[in-house]
Amino acid sequence: MLENYLPILLFIIIGIGFGVLPLLAGFVLGPRHPDSEKRSAYECGFEPFEDAHMKFDVRYYLVAILFIIFDLEIAFLFPWAIVLDEIGVFGLLAMFLFLGILVVGFIYEWKKGALEWE
Amino acid sequence: MESVIFYIFAAILLFAATMVITVRNPVRAALFLVLAFFTSAGIWLMLEAEFLAISLVLVYVGAVLVLFLFVVMMLDIDLAPLKEGFTRYLPLGIIVAALIVVEMIAVLNAPQFDISAAQATDGSNTKMLGRLLYTVYVYPFEIASVILTVAIVAAITLTLREHHRKLQDPAKQVMVKSADRLRMVDLRSKKQDGEGSES
Repeated sequence: MLENYLPILLFIIIGIGFGVLPLLAGFVLGPRHPDSEKRSAYECGFEPFEDAHMKFDVRYYLVAILFIIFDLEIAFLFPWAIVLDEIGVFGLLAMFLFLGILVVGFIYEWKKGALEWE
Repeated sequence: MESVIFYIFAAILLFAATMVITVRNPVRAALFLVLAFFTSAGIWLMLEAEFLAISLVLVYVGAVLVLFLFVVMMLDIDLAPLKEGFTRYLPLGIIVAALIVVEMIAVLNAPQFDISAAQATDGSNTKMLGRLLYTVYVYPFEIASVILTVAIVAAITLTLREHHRKLQDPAKQVMVKSADRLRMVDLRSKKQDGEGSES
């Protein structure tokens, strides 16, 4: 059972290696002579006058929360897809009702203009 | 071999969880939380809880953490006043932490969480979940979709603002005629009628 996940584990390890090794090589091999001017933030030649932390528009939050809702909907589809041949027409209709109710919400958000980004 | 992988995952998980609560920058803390979720998904996968593992990655890492990052960036947190009340809130924090530890011990010792009972079931537990969720528990399942729809409506009502939207409709721009922009007024004919007092 668990042996089936060995390729995924190898994939993760090799992926991490691909990401980390070049950074490490640059860190170890590259010449570094830092001073205070090099390390300070550069802002078009004059003194930086603002913190880089700034407030985001609340509309990003709206997009993120709508994404979460449809993400949860997808999470319900996985076990349904696995057992579809066992639960038959009843399961199919149950999922259609589930998706139908969410399509109502989707139409609402579309008509309301929540998906528009000027 | 399996226990070696488990210990590696557990070590990464403990490291990430410690970093979440000790790191000063909240954005970095959120990113360490991503690492903690990934490694706990790996541990759940080793416990043969595949559906929990994939939903942890899909829902929490994919969506909830994005929301966390937006909220952290939206709040514009000034770190200096946050550090002030540390000793004042310390007793309350210790009480809450002790309560959580007691609750966790009580829950994990409960007979419902006996792991040998879970492993005795043959086949994938995603399949068993599906068999129950869409037949026996179909009514709560439909309720869940209603709750999600309510969440859509609530999120839109709370955050959607329409008043500062400046949109140009190209179709209207193209179809405009000169009569829509310019109105010809014949002043002389009015004067001849004897109503020219308005100069």
